[in-house]
Amino acid sequence: MRFKQMGLQSLVGAFLLVGAAHAQTVVLGASVQMTGATANTGRYYRDGYQFAVERINAKGGVKLGGKQQKLELKLLDNQSDVNLSVRQYVQLVSQDKVNLLLGPFASDFALADSSIAEKYEIPMVQGGGASDQIFSRGYKYVFGTLPAATLYFESTIEAMGKLNPVPRTVALLYADDAFDVSVAKGTRDLVGKAGLKVVIDERYSSNASDFSPLLSRIRSVNPDAVLVAGHETEVLNFIRQAKSLNVSPKMYSFTVGVPTADFRKALGPDANYAFGMTSWLPLAAHKDEYFGDAETFAKEYKTKLGYEPDYHVASAVADVEALVKAMEAAGGADPKKVRDALAKIDFPSLYGRVRFNQVGQISLPQTMIQVQNGTVVPIYAGNGFIGKPLYPMPAWNKR
Amino acid sequence: MARAAALAIALVLVALLPWIGTPTLVQFAINALLLATLAQGWNIIGGYTGYASFGNSVFYGLGTYGTAVAMTTYQLPFGVGLAIGAVLAVVFAIVLGIPVLRLRGHYFAIATLGLAQVMTAIVSNLEIAGRNVGIVMPLLKGDTLFLELSLALLVLATLAVWWISRSRFGYGLIAIRENEDAAQVMGVNVTMYKVLAFALAALFSSLAGGIHGYWITFVDPASAFDITLNVKMIIMAVFGGPGSVLGPVIGALLLSGVSEVLAAQITSLASVFFGMVIVIAVVFMPHGLADLARRFKRLGVRYFGENVRTNRL
Amino acid sequence: MDLLWQIFANGLLLGGLYALMALGLALVWGVLNIVNLAHGALIMLGAYVCYYAFTLAGIDPFAGLVLSAVVLFCLGYAIQRFILNLVARAPMFNTLLITFGIEVVLTYLAQIFFSADFRTINPPYAGNFISIAGAAIPTVRLAAFAVALALTFALWLVLLHTRLGRAIRATAQNLVAARLYGVEPRHLYALTFGLGAALAGAAGGLYGVVSQINPYIGATLTAKCFVIAIIGGLQNPLGVVVGGLVLGLVESLTGLYIGSTYIDVASFGILVLVLIFRPTGLLGKAA
Repeated sequence: MRFKQMGLQSLVGAFLLVGAAHAQTVVLGASVQMTGATANTGRYYRDGYQFAVERINAKGGVKLGGKQQKLELKLLDNQSDVNLSVRQYVQLVSQDKVNLLLGPFASDFALADSSIAEKYEIPMVQGGGASDQIFSRGYKYVFGTLPAATLYFESTIEAMGKLNPVPRTVALLYADDAFDVSVAKGTRDLVGKAGLKVVIDERYSSNASDFSPLLSRIRSVNPDAVLVAGHETEVLNFIRQAKSLNVSPKMYSFTVGVPTADFRKALGPDANYAFGMTSWLPLAAHKDEYFGDAETFAKEYKTKLGYEPDYHVASAVADVEALVKAMEAAGGADPKKVRDALAKIDFPSLYGRVRFNQVGQISLPQTMIQVQNGTVVPIYAGNGFIGKPLYPMPAWNKR
Repeated sequence: MARAAALAIALVLVALLPWIGTPTLVQFAINALLLATLAQGWNIIGGYTGYASFGNSVFYGLGTYGTAVAMTTYQLPFGVGLAIGAVLAVVFAIVLGIPVLRLRGHYFAIATLGLAQVMTAIVSNLEIAGRNVGIVMPLLKGDTLFLELSLALLVLATLAVWWISRSRFGYGLIAIRENEDAAQVMGVNVTMYKVLAFALAALFSSLAGGIHGYWITFVDPASAFDITLNVKMIIMAVFGGPGSVLGPVIGALLLSGVSEVLAAQITSLASVFFGMVIVIAVVFMPHGLADLARRFKRLGVRYFGENVRTNRL
Repeated sequence: MDLLWQIFANGLLLGGLYALMALGLALVWGVLNIVNLAHGALIMLGAYVCYYAFTLAGIDPFAGLVLSAVVLFCLGYAIQRFILNLVARAPMFNTLLITFGIEVVLTYLAQIFFSADFRTINPPYAGNFISIAGAAIPTVRLAAFAVALALTFALWLVLLHTRLGRAIRATAQNLVAARLYGVEPRHLYALTFGLGAALAGAAGGLYGVVSQINPYIGATLTAKCFVIAIIGGLQNPLGVVVGGLVLGLVESLTGLYIGSTYIDVASFGILVLVLIFRPTGLLGKAA
């Protein structure tokens, strides 16, 4: 009987919410990982969405047809379970009747959840999935603020050609999931075009905790550079085990982890010399209508939430801003009109220039970065060095 | 007679859900119906034959992948895809069943658990299956087809179980469950019966998998061969009453409902609650709801104490 | 040749830790006939105890192991005494289900209290290694290997040469006879399960230094321990060591020669094959 009561209560609650939603606010819905295996990054999206909505509302909200309307956020916790996340998006669209959708973290989630946006024809702007699979299905209602996975290592490989001594052999390791397989595909092409030789090309199981076989092979083959496409915990394991197996190539670079503060905290001095990339840096040059600029944003974010924002957070904020701008351009929250506005949108933000290509993906260059003495130093962007790389990496016992 | 009428009305109501219910309700219904089918499938091999299989998720996964590959790589229609998935699963059930069904008790359970892990690992290495990244299915707008299919599948599975409960085949399975050696001595072709039961379970599990894959539009090894799915179907069958015709269905629908309501409210606490329900149910009502319903009238609350007394150290 | 030796060494070291993880499971299974699906969750909890001892009180993980073992012993005793004893005479299948329920509860309680973030126990000596014949041997893994062997030996001693051990074995063989000898089975069962949990706790502490912990590692670890216990046979602790070493080597060699995505195919493939052809394990007597 209690369950019937609870069911009834939630039903009534939903109706009230629906009523409220249509009355004065625009509701943005999303299912993100707040608990579960990928929650430590999933929470960046929750925090980013909330921070953005609060600030936009503080500045008056979204201007529709002469009136100011407040934004409201409906976030659900998918517990890092893809199937639950899909069901939650259906709930958001059909029961909670949200106006527009924001995305989850991670390509495999974005891949599955975006089908719901397309099925129900409600635009989704997601900043968590970069895999080219997401954007190669001909979907019209899905937009992404993470740049193409295939180009993640582009600036790194360009920079490698200008280092001294030039690394000639490359080991490419990648995890077995949508994002990293995409990265590897693109990286292979880039490495080939740059005239470098791939001596190890290994796919490993996602969530692997033991890299001893791979590291042993690396030690034996001794490539100049090691490129790893994986997720944060794998990269952490890799570096730790590299230390204990005494593996120290001239350089190594990782697709994730390096820009994030708790990664550097977890590794301490062992994080030094690691290269990585980021599509975003908190530079004053990135001007933003709601936050002033990226540098100010980063400071205020850190004060309020207690940690430095990385590109995940900035991407999430950009998603909210994109939806707001699109609604203003469309003059309302009508899904089809907003979708058309999103396809044409082009505005500057703290994240950089927000503009989607014909498959719905943003195009932003990756800046090559390196951890030096515990801080992140931008090394290479555009076509040249903007910082001095510490290369080659000294052996572990000589640090 | 009244029972049959009630069932008929329930069936009609569920079939009409796309028109009289909300999309969320339809979605919940599809999930619950598919889970109920899986529980019924398990009922055949676990409930009636007494072989607790942790490998039904293998057949579910094979059905999912068979359908997915047929529809994407070979551009075949959905029906053909389902059939291919089913054939794949049944063949595996027979081929793997013969050696694995020779094991008894928990060795059989662990062997099927191992099989599930092996299949996940093998499929995540197959290029044609999209390896670990998975396969994206073509999008079909609207849930009506899936609801009706899931309902039809559950009805089919339940009819199969009903037929089993009245047939010589079914009596043979029960004999195997109660005392396999005696059954063999009495002339029951034990191996053939077990493999047949396993194959039937595979048939229903694979069809459920195929439907689910197309509905979700995305398949990957982790969710297709998910072990927790297997455990869920077992718990639902056991909670409802293994070896009965409607028990697993009721168990599945009830537990799905509870789980859905809880998940909407508080998330991790819901899972803790689910775990505790399992522990309490196994201690106090190990024979499921069907048995509870039957004997509660006679024994009342003492029913629970009875169960504990018989099973405690 | 150098590479092969390194891979071999990796496999052995991994195997030692695996053996310790599986020891508790094999004990409880072989003696009490309880297939504990919550075993991995116990390892996970042991890892967290050691983690918090290290981060909050600075206790070195190798000393923290002892704390993990003690805490998990108490938890294991309670679980057996107040929950599992209630279904001890029910069909084995019920124990499978109930331990699964316990696993779910422990995992999600851990998530609520410890959060889903990944943690590692990172003592300052974590990255050290020594060189043996050209292979880099991480010192922590070597120490874990030594601890694993020591605990296995200790368990073997207890089972074969102490009164408690004899009582445990007697209860395993014949419950009625054991009762006649004055053994109190409820207490003894709980003690045995507690012992298994203590071993799991110690293994967890070591696991936390060597790898990463989060509330969800329980299920995969349980699966691995099953493979080890089955390969080695449940007759004696030495079998578990053999099982662990075999699995560690198989995984390491598969990773090198076939590809690291095939490691699970190899491990669980072996499980299925061993069950079909030699269910009592490689060391057990043929059925």
